[in-house]
Amino acid sequence: MKTNSIKNKVLITACFMILLAICIIWIFPMIWALLTAFQSENEIQRMDFHILPVEFTFENYAKLFHNDSSPVLRWFANSLVIALGHMGLVLVIVALAGYGFTRLHFKGRDGLFLILMATMMFPSVMNLIPNFKIVDSFGWTNTYLAVIVPGAAGVTNVFLVRQFMLGIPKDLDEAAYVDGANHWQVFWNIILPNSKPVLMVVALFSFTGAWNDFLWPSIVMRDVDMLPITPGLQLLQGQYMTYPGIAMAGAILAIIPTFVLYLFAQKKFMESMSLGSGIK
Amino acid sequence: MKKKINLWTLLFIGPYFILFIIFFLIPAVFGIAVSFTEWDMYNTPEFIGLSNYNKILFDSSSIYYDQFRIGMGNTILFVLIAVPLCVFVPLLIAVLLNMKPRGHRVFQSVLYMPTLFSISAVMIIWSFLLSLSYGPFKTWFDMSTDLKSTQPWAWICIIGVTIWWCMGANMVIYVAALSGVPQEQLEAATIDGAGAVIRLFKIVIPNIRFQLLFTAITTTVAQFNIYGQPLMLTSGGPNNSTKVLMMYIQENAFGTGISNAGMSSAMAILMGLIIMLVSTVQFAMNRRSER
Repeated sequence: MKTNSIKNKVLITACFMILLAICIIWIFPMIWALLTAFQSENEIQRMDFHILPVEFTFENYAKLFHNDSSPVLRWFANSLVIALGHMGLVLVIVALAGYGFTRLHFKGRDGLFLILMATMMFPSVMNLIPNFKIVDSFGWTNTYLAVIVPGAAGVTNVFLVRQFMLGIPKDLDEAAYVDGANHWQVFWNIILPNSKPVLMVVALFSFTGAWNDFLWPSIVMRDVDMLPITPGLQLLQGQYMTYPGIAMAGAILAIIPTFVLYLFAQKKFMESMSLGSGIK
Repeated sequence: MKKKINLWTLLFIGPYFILFIIFFLIPAVFGIAVSFTEWDMYNTPEFIGLSNYNKILFDSSSIYYDQFRIGMGNTILFVLIAVPLCVFVPLLIAVLLNMKPRGHRVFQSVLYMPTLFSISAVMIIWSFLLSLSYGPFKTWFDMSTDLKSTQPWAWICIIGVTIWWCMGANMVIYVAALSGVPQEQLEAATIDGAGAVIRLFKIVIPNIRFQLLFTAITTTVAQFNIYGQPLMLTSGGPNNSTKVLMMYIQENAFGTGISNAGMSSAMAILMGLIIMLVSTVQFAMNRRSER
């Protein structure tokens, strides 16, 4: 028994060492990017690789912010409007649909839902070109609507919210119906407050999803001033091919919002990952 | 009474359904339809039957034939290597995390983080880190080949960065799944003298098979859409050897010059069909192994 516990201890320590090594590899690029953004141009161009800046400077950020051909602050603001707008729209639509699919009794409800689920198998690449044409024919190209609205048609969030709302005890709303409440009152006073956990998850993922979207906004935003920061960084990369300091400053700026969100809602992010896959 | 119910349905389901019809159903049908046409995105599409597909698949004198062969080949090569790694690397790390060594929560938080960063931020960082001039490879290892423009290094870079970037999501799913493996079964097996490896394959993996299947399918679908990594890391080079199909689809439809959206749609449809075929096969294989 004793040898067994020693063996166990060795095993756990080995485990710790391996994980530590992996984490160092994982965190190294982030630390390097963060610190390179504070190195001066001279220091970087000497090309002897080091991580800690010899002299700490904000000049990269200063140059990044005063650049007319890559207006990063404008891009950052665009991204905020888009991500928040998308998040708001998804929350409203998905909460309503979740109620409809769990509490209303219309003909063909569950069949309709099954059809929706089946479309999850449909690869999004097949919709790319026609969706551009539709957005374009609405006159939405180069407007926020082009990146806020189409993504809200996704099925995954509806699925998550429906599953969650199915779990809210029916007795709660039935009591309210008996008291004479209508669907809107039940939705607003009972279902919505009880659905906060899942709506939180939907909010986080629709925000980060819209913030990180790359291909679609680069297609519908032809005007540089309208780009969100994620596709914007591609222009930045082209412009600062040999200026890693400024490019890193741009990358850090683009990462900040999702990073801050992660700091505050880490547990929610982790829980939600298994939410999608945990339902058999 | 009946009318009232219909109004409620309209209120609750209506908004989602309008979006679903406009931005999913119509495009799905429309996309298939225009793949049979010659279309520049602005004039009326002209029906040309199977001509686009014929060019892509059989006409070896057409540039679209070459594009599809190169793009699809590279995409499949990437999927074949990246998907198993994007399942097994996080699984291995999840098994280590599940032993609960000191600091496992911190480790997990750090390893999950890159999944939340945008692809362009990640690729900018890595493209400088992997460059000969600004990265550590020359100073630390006295290297003189530029990794991103030499094969097979270019692929190794793309795959490595992909794992670094998106491993965390699967890892968290596996950690949650592993904590649900019944402890009694593991203890019983230990008493019967089963080692760690045997326990992993005989008890742990069968217990988390649903999550493994789920992540295998979602990862495959996701990785087929590879685009940003080669675009920003290697620009499809050297010699188009990392040029993937999404890049050709994007260029033909939205690139500079006259759009060839009909042709591009046909490529997208073919790519979509292959994705659906692969996920169906994955499903079927799992069904069979279940028996």
